[in-house]
Amino acid sequence: MKDVVIIGAGPAGLAAATVCRQHDLDVTVIDEFSKSGGRLLGQLHEEPTGEWWNGIKEATEMTEEAKALHTDIRLGLSVHHIEKRADSYAVHTNKGTIPAKTVLIATGAAESAAPIPGWTLPGVMSIGAAQVMTNVHRVKVGEKGIVVGVNVLSAAIARELQLAGVDLHSMALPAMNVVSGDEAHPKKVMEKLVRIAHLAPSAFIKFGSKFAKAAFVRHIALQFFPKSGVKMWDMPIHLRKAIKEINGSDKVESVTMVDVKPNGEIVPGSEEIIEVDFVCIAGGLYPLGELAAPLGCPFVYQEELGGHVPIHNEKMETPLEGVYVAGNITGIESAKVAREQGKVAGYSILSYIKQDQASQAELAAAMESVRETRDQATIQFHPHIQTGRQQVHESFEKLTK
Amino acid sequence: MTERRIIDHPVLGKLDEQKKVSFQFDGRTYEGYEGDTIASALLAHGIRTLRKHEETGRPRGIYCNIGHCFECRVTVDDISNIRACLTPIHNGMVVETGQQLDTPLSPDQTEPIPRTYEEYEEWKEKKEQSK
Amino acid sequence: MQDLVICRCEEVSLKELEETAEKFNCSARELKLRTRAGMGFCGGRTCRPAVDKVVHDITGEAPSNDLPLKVQPPVRPISLHDLGGSES
Repeated sequence: MKDVVIIGAGPAGLAAATVCRQHDLDVTVIDEFSKSGGRLLGQLHEEPTGEWWNGIKEATEMTEEAKALHTDIRLGLSVHHIEKRADSYAVHTNKGTIPAKTVLIATGAAESAAPIPGWTLPGVMSIGAAQVMTNVHRVKVGEKGIVVGVNVLSAAIARELQLAGVDLHSMALPAMNVVSGDEAHPKKVMEKLVRIAHLAPSAFIKFGSKFAKAAFVRHIALQFFPKSGVKMWDMPIHLRKAIKEINGSDKVESVTMVDVKPNGEIVPGSEEIIEVDFVCIAGGLYPLGELAAPLGCPFVYQEELGGHVPIHNEKMETPLEGVYVAGNITGIESAKVAREQGKVAGYSILSYIKQDQASQAELAAAMESVRETRDQATIQFHPHIQTGRQQVHESFEKLTK
Repeated sequence: MTERRIIDHPVLGKLDEQKKVSFQFDGRTYEGYEGDTIASALLAHGIRTLRKHEETGRPRGIYCNIGHCFECRVTVDDISNIRACLTPIHNGMVVETGQQLDTPLSPDQTEPIPRTYEEYEEWKEKKEQSK
Repeated sequence: MQDLVICRCEEVSLKELEETAEKFNCSARELKLRTRAGMGFCGGRTCRPAVDKVVHDITGEAPSNDLPLKVQPPVRPISLHDLGGSES
């Protein structure tokens, strides 16, 4: 029987595996994809220091480190169920069952869709799909496209597409409908963008963001937001234009763009047809906790963390003995935080298996490292992430009293 | 195939010389590179449609590209529902797209609903003839 | 304008969801049972947040702590053969 089965070979899973292997635990890491690294593989962005965060490089390093310790990494394998047995967990995959003393669910996040009419056409893809095609497979997703949904993630990926020589018309909001939520609301989108404006290369935005912080200034800025959008790296970003519909018979041929008021209301008669052959939809990320549910793990809804998260504490323990979580499944944050969380999970699992206090110091240090990494983050997916985290830990305390 | 590839990238560098892999998609032979998924190899050829929706017959391609949505499911070497976005291509692989399926039990149709498999076969033949 | 498909797997449109939710004043779970939204091949992974939003907008039901659409194994489609059946 394995000491631990780790589901997900992303930064959290690989970091946890490395810690466990360093202390000679019997570890198996499982991932559905044929390469390890998870969503790290597609990441590519410039840090404020000027250095490039190269996800492929990071993933390769983490994988080599795990492999150097003879970690059993099984790629191209899917887990469809985890079952609690008398004194073990049965991890059911499409190629057999693996019994384990403990499991670490590090399955990351999934993308929330921002549906608009015509989004099922070939050529429409999630923004994450474009990232993977571009940086992992080095395939151009199309000749000319448009990004629907303006947020931290979509802006970063739009930049990645440009770097790869893929032509983008612009970024715009999705037109407001029942399911679109905040991402169709110009004011709410602007509020979120102002928090990352310090990263913008455009002096206008950097300068403007200092003043934009005050709500009334944001309001005025939105009223006078240029019709041609604010250009970032030569690409217009529209907060007063939205995509109402995607057109085409068998694949994407064009989109219908409309003007919108500061509250998102469509200006009648403002339709414009933009010819594109691909559309990227960006609705945000939500934690993918599905494998924790069949185990009976309780969840808590935290908007700051992106949705429903399995209840856990700072040690990455869930209320179920022997079941751990780490990475984006615990809440949407960066790969760096996921990596540090993976280490915490590793030490927690180690302490549990060895039934000793030998790793308490390392565990404490790893938890501190998570906090530090979070504090130093240049981009925060949500401004109140600390509150979200705290509330989840409190839920854990309440349940395990 | 190369115009749709990002050969040179300012940060990721030049694409290394890759081994070519040949596979079949709906009866035609295509070339991809080792390490390509079925979806990426086809997209490099400008092919976006990977499947027809089982009920409506509408064309579908990748959506999430990371194995979550299953929109890219294809039949590979006779095994159905394989995700094109996760599956690496190998030489001689035979890939087929899923087609629209019959809906003999649909309440909207004018034909009487078949109650046995035999009746379904007749129903199907009638449909073929009336096309 | 085209219909807005919410559940891609089962091609359930917003119109169908709205009409059903209003007619029966139901929870997310009941909406799924009536329309098949969230019960398709992807296990609700793509549309779960959207279906939730529709229900919230119509019924005013706030997101609860439980996952809105109950997650049952298998969370990945699996053939009987791989589950341990005999040669197919």
